[in-house]
Amino acid sequence: MNATPGNGFAPWLADDGPAADTGLAWLDSRRAQARAQVRDQGIPTTKQEAWRYTSLTRLLEQGFTPTAKATTPLEPRDLEPLLVPGLEAYRVVLVNGRFVPGLSDLQHLPAGLRVGGLAQILKSDPDALKDRLNGVAGETQPLFAALNTAGLDDGVVVLLERGAQVERPIELIHLSVGMDEPRVAQPRHVVALEAGAQASLIERYVSLGEALYCTNSVLELSLGRDAVLKHQRIQTESANAFHIAGLYLSLGAGSRYQCVNVGLGASWARTDLNVRFAGEHAECDLQGLYLAGDRQLMDFHLDVDHRLPHCSSRENFKGILYGKGRAVFDGRVYVAKDAQRTDAAMSNRNLLLSEGAEVDTKPQLEINADDVKCSHGTTVGQIEPEQLFYLRSRGISAPLARRMLCLGFAGEILDCLTPDALRDQVAEQVGSRLEQAPID
Amino acid sequence: MLSIKGLKANVGDKEILKGLDLEIGRGEVHAIMGPNGSGKSTLAHVLSGREGYTVTGGSVTFEGQDLLDLEPEARAHLGLFLAFQYPVELPGVNNTYFLKAALNAIRKARGEPELDAVSFLRLMKEKLKVLHLDDSLLKRPVNFGFSGGEKKRNEIFQMAILEPKLAILDETDSGLDIDALRIVADGVNALRSPERSVILVTHYQRLLDYIQPDYVHVLAKGQIIRSGGKELALELEDKGYGWLGAEEAA
Repeated sequence: MNATPGNGFAPWLADDGPAADTGLAWLDSRRAQARAQVRDQGIPTTKQEAWRYTSLTRLLEQGFTPTAKATTPLEPRDLEPLLVPGLEAYRVVLVNGRFVPGLSDLQHLPAGLRVGGLAQILKSDPDALKDRLNGVAGETQPLFAALNTAGLDDGVVVLLERGAQVERPIELIHLSVGMDEPRVAQPRHVVALEAGAQASLIERYVSLGEALYCTNSVLELSLGRDAVLKHQRIQTESANAFHIAGLYLSLGAGSRYQCVNVGLGASWARTDLNVRFAGEHAECDLQGLYLAGDRQLMDFHLDVDHRLPHCSSRENFKGILYGKGRAVFDGRVYVAKDAQRTDAAMSNRNLLLSEGAEVDTKPQLEINADDVKCSHGTTVGQIEPEQLFYLRSRGISAPLARRMLCLGFAGEILDCLTPDALRDQVAEQVGSRLEQAPID
Repeated sequence: MLSIKGLKANVGDKEILKGLDLEIGRGEVHAIMGPNGSGKSTLAHVLSGREGYTVTGGSVTFEGQDLLDLEPEARAHLGLFLAFQYPVELPGVNNTYFLKAALNAIRKARGEPELDAVSFLRLMKEKLKVLHLDDSLLKRPVNFGFSGGEKKRNEIFQMAILEPKLAILDETDSGLDIDALRIVADGVNALRSPERSVILVTHYQRLLDYIQPDYVHVLAKGQIIRSGGKELALELEDKGYGWLGAEEAA
């Protein structure tokens, strides 16, 4: 193969890995095109705006190679400790990037809902995916999305037919299991709701043990006219993991989309949310909560493109940083000249619990229309001594008081999580991370 | 139960308390009155352990222990409670969760078993009834978005749940209209018992119409310059603080 990328990511696309021919001409040509893009882009440096605060050096040092086909066989009971207690969901499970039917629970799917592994559907019904793969992300992709496309071989597909309304959440679990050497998994997810469809998607990234690995996921999501999706992403990767997520969203006329992002795990995590309005009167609500402690980086990039009039977007991200934790919030809202009556509000608030913690926050509004309602705000603060004293004067120890105030700060985002079973589990995870946080 | 001897305290370089003596027995209600800037709130804060004050002399013994040596939470464990002049808003911290954490921290420190959710809820309902409070209070974040009167009532509610041995009410009457004042006073009266002592810190005699003190002390320029029975408050009402040579500092 002569299209081997000429940069540090070459090993991600080893010839004997997933890059082998798929037997689908259109897919092979898209993957070859992506390989060329990876090669041509080279390695982003901190001189580039999108990577200004985040260095790729640590990622490149790890020498990740693609996950081999065969992974350790797992039993459903291995998965049990990682489930949300009491959560009833249609469950689709990937292990190291590959769909595992034996761990999934996809029986009795309601009419109009199709959930399955991407590789399987590429085999049985490739036409269902031909227009959807790269359909939202586009053909020209930034480095990590291009890497994902170049190595594309499995992931999750969720298709909801016109008008189908699914009550029970669809839960996508991406489980990583430590291998003999550092591996990268590049799952590709495709979610499409046709006109009037309604669903709830819970996307969880979990691991067994504290292994070193990398997840580079891409999710392409499209909502048809008046479709409604609640999307919850809970990232609790291993403490040594690298996590990269690219989300590409296309929101149809009158559709409503809410995404609640929770970033707790991984040593290095980068999430890009790209929102494009494809019809008027669509609503997009992006909520986020991140924690970062010692040796942890949480990097969120939002790019919300109001190209059409009468759409609204909310971007509300909150972070708690402790130890030597680092976070980046780079939020961009673009309003095109013709996008009148755009309503956009962006907020990023951060709580720093230690002197060594650091956050770079950069909200940007680019407004080219004159009849719009747009705002943005950002804060970086500490726990108020008055609040701490109030709690202590009631008999509550200083560490517990700090934790209660942090959970209070996070509560606004945690309360967006549904059902309660999920909210309670995530609140518990946030609490226990804060319990282990070093107190200055 | 509380013995203050020659207490001196600074804020920054400024001496506010200049040798204060006070003895409070079990079950007694003491009013501490005085003009603005006399050191009333400083006394309340020093007793509760707030940061920003330096004790430069004297001693405070509470239930046989050196109070000044203890962290704020340890003082609460011993049975001290401060009703704040300006109760602090805690957005996102649920009132029920907060009170349960507080009560169980105190019980644990005393070697008592923690209350489970059901027993705690029963206790809350019971106290709400005694104080004629609405149970919507339980679901709201602590003091967040509360009116001035609601905040003060929430302080009294916390006091009812935590059952302190000594409650210090710091200007609890300030900013309350007459109806709110009556509700708060009724609450305090409902909690009076031979086991519980109260210090009422106030600028005005008004509060003492509703909560009858056993003793009244006048604090001026960092010292108690006069002590007496409840008739002293009436005399102050008549003659003002100037009568005692205690001018307004501000």
